[in-house]
Amino acid sequence: MFFRVMDTSRLPDLVRGLSRDHEVIGPVAKEERFVFAAIDDPADLRLDYDTTLLPPKKLFFPPEDQMMRFRVADNEVLDDEVFAAPRVLLGLHPCDINALLLMDNIFLKDYVDPYYKARRDTTLVVGISCVPTEDCFCNSLGTDEAHWGFDIFLTDLGDRYFVSVRSVKGAELLDDFVETREITDADTAAFQRVTRERKDKFTQDVDTSQLPLLLDAKFDSPVWDELGERCLSCGACSMVCPTCYCFNVRDDLAPDQKTGTRTRLWDSCQFSEFAAVAHGQNFRESRASRVKYRYYHKQWGYLSKFERVLCVGCGRCSTACAADITPREVIAALAKGGVE
Amino acid sequence: MAPRVVVVSLASDFGCQVQMTNIEDDLLDVLGLIDLSYWQLASSGHMPAEYDVAIVEGAVTTEEHVELLKRIRSVADVVMVIGACAVTGGIPAMAGEGDLEQRFAYVYGTDGANVARGRISPGPVKRIIGVDYEVPGCPIDTAEFLRVLSHALQGLANRLPQEPLCAICKTKENVCLFDKGQICLGMFTRTGCGARCVSLGRPCTGCRGLAADANVESAMKILAEKGYDIDEVTERLAVFNTREEVFSR
Ligand code: SF4
Ligand code: SF4
Ligand code: SF4
Ligand code: SF4
Repeated sequence: MFFRVMDTSRLPDLVRGLSRDHEVIGPVAKEERFVFAAIDDPADLRLDYDTTLLPPKKLFFPPEDQMMRFRVADNEVLDDEVFAAPRVLLGLHPCDINALLLMDNIFLKDYVDPYYKARRDTTLVVGISCVPTEDCFCNSLGTDEAHWGFDIFLTDLGDRYFVSVRSVKGAELLDDFVETREITDADTAAFQRVTRERKDKFTQDVDTSQLPLLLDAKFDSPVWDELGERCLSCGACSMVCPTCYCFNVRDDLAPDQKTGTRTRLWDSCQFSEFAAVAHGQNFRESRASRVKYRYYHKQWGYLSKFERVLCVGCGRCSTACAADITPREVIAALAKGGVE
Repeated sequence: MAPRVVVVSLASDFGCQVQMTNIEDDLLDVLGLIDLSYWQLASSGHMPAEYDVAIVEGAVTTEEHVELLKRIRSVADVVMVIGACAVTGGIPAMAGEGDLEQRFAYVYGTDGANVARGRISPGPVKRIIGVDYEVPGCPIDTAEFLRVLSHALQGLANRLPQEPLCAICKTKENVCLFDKGQICLGMFTRTGCGARCVSLGRPCTGCRGLAADANVESAMKILAEKGYDIDEVTERLAVFNTREEVFSR
């Protein structure tokens, strides 16, 4: 990794440069919220965004994705190639960068998912520093800083960016398209000050110490029943989560019934059909068991395999849940033994 | 032999049958698979005595409908109901809330007795006969209609989604209408429409009926806590769902 400094006024140069050979995708305003979308005009880019409605996972693992077409008569696969054009994802916060690394464990390790891989391979990541919102708790999970998973990272120092360059490709792009200069001691000092100030802005402190132990001890806690009564089984929490990766697969026949398409769609463990199997068995019939297993998967199951929890503290689920079920509250309630 | 299909209408505005004609591009493919023996909207003749699949649109509002449905059930191997009226009772079923005769008298005066003879409290087809396949919505979605029809023709199970609308609404990146202080019925309503209304900036009116997974009790409690008028939420739910269904949850 090496570091440079770039004037904030140079940002449009960078965007325009990147646009030459890449599709540039970044945060833009949608009503009073933000979404990741293609940037046609650098002026649309809103690097001052708080959190996007959907996380960047939608760009690697779309909510609805055709996997292949098939012919009914002989079961032949007709087309299953993935079209992945070169892209730059510009303006990812540390939590979302870390979330993609957690997704990589699922989609690129034991079973390599060609759809995810093709898109991941052709996408460069440019990170941007952020200001914590009231729902952010990445600081409690060690995901408030990104050390890997980006090509370039921009830390906003006001009039200039402190630029961390992580990959050769990132270095080349920077070199090709935008004027930067070497860092000085003053830049480093400003970088450290900004980093410290940001840390002080977190309003949430979720006590995640000994979480697996806590979950083990609280498997039969009445907290789960209370949460189950409240949960709307709407699945909004899974949809907006940057680390939820479950999907359903659906086959549809064309109107002439001769060919079909296979599509995968985001799924949620909060739906009653999620754990239903043939013969009408359902391993998670009750809402309480479904809420419970969402937490056990995220804070325990994944951890036991990958040594990290499957949550980056982005707070999207807290914002999206109409029933106000939030990781912070759930963890606190378990520790205390009851929902407030 | 291609399955013989009849399309029958009870009380409705024929909107869903019109939607069927909107399949346009795929209509010929579909017609190639079936023997469309009778289509009430387009046929001038009578319904044949024998058929394999009956597609029924509209709510049950008269004794005559009841008889017709019983006959259909005894003839057809497969009964497929389409549209909110047939699936949940839809708008016609609003007339069945409270005292039906009083409502008739209010609307038609003393002549009410002669207006709709043999009238019964309007309701969904499933109140009278067993139903094999459902295509909910007001009006139906043509893609979903084709999917369900394809399932019916292939003999696959009726697989309507169980969960409420909010998940798909999130995938469309809509700003939740509750964040803007509006009442949206998405958390009550069966998904499958792609959150079309909300994506156009309008609240879900619940036309696809209650979702099997919906937690009606909790949703009411939460909305009350947030200061919404529960009577109004119930009123809105009662447009496409019968009250009996809403209160039973
Ligand atoms: S569980 Fe919630 S806070 Fe954690 S990563 Fe998912 S959406 Fe963000
Ligand atoms: S099981 Fe649930 S919590 Fe875990 S990834 Fe799947 S949807 Fe998310
Ligand atoms: S968003 Fe909230 S109400 Fe909806 S499924 Fe998740 S926890 Fe339950
Ligand atoms: S706008 Fe309606 S459907 Fe969408 S998330 Fe909010 S309540 Fe659910």
